[in-house]
Amino acid sequence: MSVSTVTKEQFKSFVAALVDSDQNVVGVQAKDDKFAFGELTDANALRLDYDVTILPPKKYMLPQREALMNFEVAGAAESVQPDEKMVLLGVHPYDMIAINQMDELFSQGEYDTHYMNRRNNITIIACDVVTDSKNVFAASMNSATCDTGYDILLTAIGDAYVVDAATDKGQALVDMMSGANEATDADLKKREAVHEKNIAALNKHELECKPSFLPKLLEKAYDHPVWEERARLCYSCGSCNQVCPTCYCFDVQDEVNWDLKTGTRCRAWDGCLLTNFATVAGDHNFRKKRADRFRHRLYRKGKYVPGKIDGQIACVGCGRCVTACTAKIANPVEVYNTILETTELR
Amino acid sequence: MSKPRVAIFDFACCEGCQLQIVNLEEEILNLIDLVDVVEWREAMSEQSHEYDIAIIEGSITRPEDAQKLEVIRSRAKILIALGACATIGGVNKIKNNFDLNEVRECVYGKDAQMPHLNTEVTKAVDEVVEVDFKIHGCPIEGSEFAQIIRSLLVGKTPFVPDYPVCVECKAKETICRYEYNEICLGPISRAGCGAPCPTAGWRCFGCRGTVDDPNVEAAQEVMEKYDLTVDDLKQKMVLFNTK
Ligand code: SF4
Ligand code: SF4
Ligand code: SF4
Ligand code: SF4
Ligand code: SF4
Repeated sequence: MSVSTVTKEQFKSFVAALVDSDQNVVGVQAKDDKFAFGELTDANALRLDYDVTILPPKKYMLPQREALMNFEVAGAAESVQPDEKMVLLGVHPYDMIAINQMDELFSQGEYDTHYMNRRNNITIIACDVVTDSKNVFAASMNSATCDTGYDILLTAIGDAYVVDAATDKGQALVDMMSGANEATDADLKKREAVHEKNIAALNKHELECKPSFLPKLLEKAYDHPVWEERARLCYSCGSCNQVCPTCYCFDVQDEVNWDLKTGTRCRAWDGCLLTNFATVAGDHNFRKKRADRFRHRLYRKGKYVPGKIDGQIACVGCGRCVTACTAKIANPVEVYNTILETTELR
Repeated sequence: MSKPRVAIFDFACCEGCQLQIVNLEEEILNLIDLVDVVEWREAMSEQSHEYDIAIIEGSITRPEDAQKLEVIRSRAKILIALGACATIGGVNKIKNNFDLNEVRECVYGKDAQMPHLNTEVTKAVDEVVEVDFKIHGCPIEGSEFAQIIRSLLVGKTPFVPDYPVCVECKAKETICRYEYNEICLGPISRAGCGAPCPTAGWRCFGCRGTVDDPNVEAAQEVMEKYDLTVDDLKQKMVLFNTK
């Protein structure tokens, strides 16, 4: 595995060749004055200088809606397995860390073949952040930089990229890049400087404790007034769930075809803020109150999910929920800081 | 087993929702295979008093329409309200904001006092009779109509979202209108349409009515966060969500 340097022009030629090959290439592109991951058909459209995408790249491992199996009504069923290969270009470190967490969650316990097949078919070219978004706080969550999960990590240094191949798949792609030279000590120093800059800059909302303290903090916060104070304005619109790179809840629905004998079982994104998320058989909703649902999300991020993945905090500080919440109440840092400031911690 | 008999009726509306059914084209043949359509003014001349499923398009605006609807209800096993006019009163309810005599004169001029133009306060179908299922939208989504009908035919409760349009809007990765400090009714409006309006750069007009439990108390404070007022919001709600 190598660490090399290519000029931005050489990198663009590489992307152009990739786009022209039979590979399915997905990358970050402009969408009006925002950005989104989408199929890349023109190397010039790739925007590795983006600040944040509207949706995280999880949509390629866990699509908004996907078929799980085709069935006969009261009969046999056949699983639908995704097998499309993809190169995913431009994943930011915080999203990479979120993907690493999802990989753990979907492979522990009941191994989720749909998610894992998609994931294993994706080659990830991550990139360090060039432009900070208005609400990013990745630095507070220790996710301004990342060191695993990707096949390649790109870091923009002036008019070149440091290209760090971390896997054989990644190395095979680097081998295709003409003009790639071994990175010099000076290049690596520049990369180090980018990392230091991002650790300072990607912090628009500053968490007043170490993220690792959150599970302990939340032990004392279940009855805190902050839940009601904020959720009073909550629309139960689920936007904070939908845009979150670590929200992975889904709902399973069956659809019948016109023959009324066959159908498809699908899963679609769900969200714990939605009114009927916790409605079970008999129409019993065990999280009826907005405040209960609002609290649940912040407990998921700060306590419940960390309990399943060795204490890793399931908020990576991408800031998307802060931007997406029309009521402007979803900011996890504001909530956690309020609790920190008003709770007796001994 | 004999096929379920279906009758389609229209009241005050533009018939655009029936048109959405007609526009299903190939799928409509599948539908006609599975049911006997015994009355449908838009598509056939026959009439019938024997039906299992009655599909009602349009709002109720005259006393004789209310009576006709009650008779239909008494004959049908399942009654479905089709489209915003039927499910929430829709655009026809705008008139409820005005004095009815003025409305009659404005619309019908010198004929305003003719008995068959005796228009009254607009009602959604469920304000007159019990409704079993609602197919929302102005106009309805053909694919949702088809999904609901298929579910009913296999004896499954159809899936109708009780979450806001924002869910579908976000899934499409649309840029939120509020990012430009513009009002959108998405956060209180019922989804199911796939959010075509915000996707095209418009606000959601709320044509599917509100979710069951819209957070109206939040409106004032939230609007202030965008330098908007509750009156701005209310004004946008007149189109589809007049009481
Ligand atoms: S909780 Fe908000 S800031 Fe944290 S990862 Fe999710 S969307 Fe990003
Ligand atoms: S985005 Fe905001 S308003 Fe919507 S469900 Fe989340 S917290 Fe509530
Ligand atoms: S709901 Fe809209 S499209 Fe349907 S009949 Fe009424 S006005 Fe026409
Ligand atoms: S544009 Fe409207 S529907 Fe879409 S997310 Fe924003 S408020 Fe919700
Ligand atoms: S986005 Fe709103 S106005 Fe547009 S179709 Fe959907 S519910 Fe109706």
